[in-house]
Amino acid sequence: MRVLVLSGYGINCEDETLHAFEVVGFKGNIVHINDLIENPKKLDNYQVFAIPGGFSYGDDTGSGNAMAKKIMINLYDQILKFVSKDKLTIGICNGCQILVNLGLVPGIHSKDPEIAMIENTSGIYQCRWINVKVNNKKSPWLKNISKLNLPVAHQEGQFMIPTKILKMIKDNNLIGLQYINDKNQLANGEFPFNPNGSIEDIAALTSKNGNVLALMPHPERAFYHHHIPYWQNNPAKKYADGYKIFFNAKKYFE
Amino acid sequence: MTNTIQILAIEKTGKEISLQKEYKNKSIKIVDGYFFSKKLNEENFNKISKLISNKVSQKILTKNNIDKVLSGYSNFDWVVEIKFLPGVTDNIATTVKEIIKDNLKNSFRNFQLGSTKIILIKGKKQEIMNISKNESNPLIQTIKFYSFKTYLKSFKKNQFNLQQVKLAKKKYIKKEINLNISDENLSLIGKLGIKEHDKSRRGTLGLDLESLKAIRNYFKKTKRKPSDVEIETIAQTWSEHCKHKIFSAEIDDIKEGIFRKYIKGATEKIIKLRKDNFCISLFTDNAGGIEFNKDWIICHKVETHNTPSALDPFGGAITGIVGVNRDCLGFGKGAKPIANTYAYYLSFPNKNYQLFRQKYNDPMLPANFIAKGIISGVRVGGNCSGIPTPQGNIYFDDRFAGKPLVFCGTVGLIPKKIKGKLAHKKKANPGDIILMVGGRVGKDGIHGATFSSEELDPNSPVSAVQIGDPITQKKMSDVIIRELRNKNMYSSITDNGAGGLSSSIGEMAKESGGFEVNLEKVPIKYDGLYPWEIWVSESQERMTLAIPPSNVKKVIKLFNLRGVEATIVGKFIKKEKAIVKYNNTEILNLDMEFLHEGYPKLKLKTALPKIKIKKKKKFKRFSLIEKFHKLLSSPNISSKEFVATQYDHEVQASSIIKPLQGEGRVFGDATAVKPLFDDNKSIALSQAAYPQYTETNPYQMAACSIDTAFKNLIVSGANLKKIAVLDNFCWCSSDDPERLYQLKESAKACYDYAVAYKTPFISGKDSMYNDFKGYNKSGKPVKISIPPTLLISSIGIVDKISYLTKITPDVGDELFVLGKNYNELKDSEYEKIFGTGNNKIPTVYAKEALKTYSNYVRANKLKIFNSAIGVDLGGIGVAISKMAIASKKGLIINLKSIKNSSIEEFLFSQSQSRIIVSIKKINVKKFKKIFNTSSYINIGKCISSDTIEFVDIKKIFKIKVSDLEKSYKQKIKGL
Repeated sequence: MRVLVLSGYGINCEDETLHAFEVVGFKGNIVHINDLIENPKKLDNYQVFAIPGGFSYGDDTGSGNAMAKKIMINLYDQILKFVSKDKLTIGICNGCQILVNLGLVPGIHSKDPEIAMIENTSGIYQCRWINVKVNNKKSPWLKNISKLNLPVAHQEGQFMIPTKILKMIKDNNLIGLQYINDKNQLANGEFPFNPNGSIEDIAALTSKNGNVLALMPHPERAFYHHHIPYWQNNPAKKYADGYKIFFNAKKYFE
Repeated sequence: MTNTIQILAIEKTGKEISLQKEYKNKSIKIVDGYFFSKKLNEENFNKISKLISNKVSQKILTKNNIDKVLSGYSNFDWVVEIKFLPGVTDNIATTVKEIIKDNLKNSFRNFQLGSTKIILIKGKKQEIMNISKNESNPLIQTIKFYSFKTYLKSFKKNQFNLQQVKLAKKKYIKKEINLNISDENLSLIGKLGIKEHDKSRRGTLGLDLESLKAIRNYFKKTKRKPSDVEIETIAQTWSEHCKHKIFSAEIDDIKEGIFRKYIKGATEKIIKLRKDNFCISLFTDNAGGIEFNKDWIICHKVETHNTPSALDPFGGAITGIVGVNRDCLGFGKGAKPIANTYAYYLSFPNKNYQLFRQKYNDPMLPANFIAKGIISGVRVGGNCSGIPTPQGNIYFDDRFAGKPLVFCGTVGLIPKKIKGKLAHKKKANPGDIILMVGGRVGKDGIHGATFSSEELDPNSPVSAVQIGDPITQKKMSDVIIRELRNKNMYSSITDNGAGGLSSSIGEMAKESGGFEVNLEKVPIKYDGLYPWEIWVSESQERMTLAIPPSNVKKVIKLFNLRGVEATIVGKFIKKEKAIVKYNNTEILNLDMEFLHEGYPKLKLKTALPKIKIKKKKKFKRFSLIEKFHKLLSSPNISSKEFVATQYDHEVQASSIIKPLQGEGRVFGDATAVKPLFDDNKSIALSQAAYPQYTETNPYQMAACSIDTAFKNLIVSGANLKKIAVLDNFCWCSSDDPERLYQLKESAKACYDYAVAYKTPFISGKDSMYNDFKGYNKSGKPVKISIPPTLLISSIGIVDKISYLTKITPDVGDELFVLGKNYNELKDSEYEKIFGTGNNKIPTVYAKEALKTYSNYVRANKLKIFNSAIGVDLGGIGVAISKMAIASKKGLIINLKSIKNSSIEEFLFSQSQSRIIVSIKKINVKKFKKIFNTSSYINIGKCISSDTIEFVDIKKIFKIKVSDLEKSYKQKIKGL
């Protein structure tokens, strides 16, 4: 089981993302995008493709846009080939924004993204812990999980989806995660439960077969129990909710 | 054919919503404009506009669709166009250029590009003028506003233009400077700068007459006239910023100077006392280094960026944070930045100070603009760099109206050894190649000039301020830390900060002997720069490396492969000479010894300050309950959650004590990160400063800062013997003997308390002239000086995860205050708000404090405490309120047994070295045994309710915790 974790141009969560995969049993490499462009076939050696969080190109021209354009002209065919196979792809935060701009979620596979990620309605960067419920339980990434407590950290985490596309997303059950409030109900847009004003409280989307997961929250930052805000109330535990997502990836290939 | 691309955000963006809220105006839309220097044909327009927009959320405006698209919103009246002045760093433009280069290859090239914010708005002219004033800074941006009709006309006729940097052709490569002139004229060179051909002056060199005479004498011996490059270089090298002349000057009877005697002296004494390996690299490098564990070193550095932040708050602050990141990258062979810290000392953002740099002209930026800009600058710098920013604080005082203080710090991590060699040691060897990597050189930061916007020619690049480019820096930093460092590919490294290449190369050359630079090789942002400008420019995001010749090709190739420019600019030599050439003309040739040590040493005298009696103001009377609410909602005590949530403190997955603590999200005094996945040790961080005490007692001011910064780490769980501190002195009027007296007194306290706590100073910095000289609104001259401020930053090691504490008590816990109350209310937050106090500011009793701290550490290791919080601003009253708010639980506080204090003194005295702990009943006995000889009192317990009940002899006061929470979380006015 091997994971390729992408890096370069302002991506910055590669170390902790690789670490999370390694702890659950993967072997992996952090690969600079320019190295991958020089040798795109490299991707064939991996079962998981991970685009970690960060600030590629400083979010200029829209979060994830510039990196998506770089991938499109250099690596698009290779990546389409990858996602069409029985392999897994994950984009976390900036990675999620890149996957959206590549059109890989909700997976219409057109070079024009059908949805957009825009600035939080608060207009301010939000770094806080939120709760999400799992909607698409068929996605290999989200199997056997119902609820997760994870941190978000983004300026542009709001999914903007035209009505037609939203219907298609719902019909195909492609909403991965949704923000919920302190009563375990959908946040219904209410801040801070929904930290960015995302439509339908969407925190993550998947591709049709569920193998591609694009999520705004950071599971790699909620990996160990001591990552969570009040870990001292229950100091004996080892892992936190984010672990489950990486563990699912391992289970998938077992 | 057109030369702009303009893209409308269809849905409301966050910026739009915040503008609408701020100005209570629903009819605002924002257009992203991209102005090109070259016309785009239809094909290129279509290609590029598609590449930089999203068809779902944005609409590309064209001549054919603009009327229709915009008529779909409201009837706009006005248009505000905000764009950068030529030469100001435009990060968006850089990204767009890269996208175009990647995608269009050579079909569209050789163009300049500027990003522009275009605000469409309905409303009255005055309102629009206000908005344009509040949303832009004339020092770095041009603001145009015109009618909506004009906008449509300009759009259709394609009348937008990009201002480009256009410099006159260079008139000379070097200029000989005649120093054999009268003292008066010599002084003018120092004050106003070198005279150009057109008689204009370049801007201050900051050299006094004595220094200029020393330079004259040196060149007398060399029998030639100095070049302009040489004078500029010497001025940079001898600047207060680089040489810290005041700290190293003989002062009164202290021959070796304040720094050697009190700061370095303290550390040397402590190293002797400690006899361990804790201190690894002190005062010699870009940051100070201590041992983290057997394989790793951590380093810490805190910088200030005050003047730049007064001029351009966003640019000043972002440059401050990415600049101090480079200090870590330049520590030893390069440390990875793992945490940022911040501390802002600001004027009240809701007040209108109306200060002018010139009579009726050139206004200071409004206080709220400065505060917001500084907060955003560090946000963008820290977040974009992928470095967590957990630790910080903000303090407000009117006296920061003329100059905000912006402290930015970074912690770095570096292995002890790389391929068998000590990683904190570096040495540029003779023959090593000088490689400049990262960004290009422009006029940025030359002379850190303070000239006003009016003096700016519309086509002259802005040189006074810089805007950081964290992505360029991140790309560079990734290559250095992730790829080059661990292969030992370079022999030395340092950052390009103040003084640019002249300073970085000059400093590194001390390791080899000297240097030879070919300045024409340096990549520049635009043509027309004079050699002296290239040499001293402070353009950001650059590091200088010393590379053995055999590695150079490999290193350059790797940088280029990662999208980073790397250029050979010269070589290090053995001869102790500083030599710079431009196209083979020698423009600088100085002895290294003279360059670094040739400056005349200062002799300073201090004088006891005269006692100033403040006029007494009248204050309203309040009930005890009202007092709690007033204190908790005052800007210096209320929550800074709005800052903590916009600074990413979770990146690198290292956060272990977060800035917001407990379910009630109380803004903590200390935070901690666990930097290695395979080691359970954590790094605890805190800081403290008490500018409010300086005028009363500068010695105790410094003592309090050290004590609080130290105590906060003890409370969080740090090892008593593994805490180091950093000093950042921000002073005012440092030519005034009374201010120097305060400086000397506070430095003396630094020595006394650091030695008492055995906590070494590992790094520091000073900024000596934080004064504003200008005019008030009625044209009267005013001078506003900051209260002298000493920020002590503390960094400590927590040996085990289980030692980390929380601030939330549980129901049934007994509450104890450790340490003594001395009824010290002078200059306290209580006195500021309610007017009554007493004559005492806190005194730190080191011996007693240490006893409390060491007993605390012992008890904490045995898990005797369930929660703990330090007592600081607002005294016990505020500390227990925070415990209650954080835990969402009630407290009973017993006031019956108070001795020798009034209730107010008991609750709000800011006496130092105190900790409130909550203890489970079963542990109380063990606690008492450990603390049997030190001072503590039981003040109550934690209960399951929404009230804090104060039980007095006669009556009971009850305060609702949920109400206190509301007061504590009240928005700071003006932010």
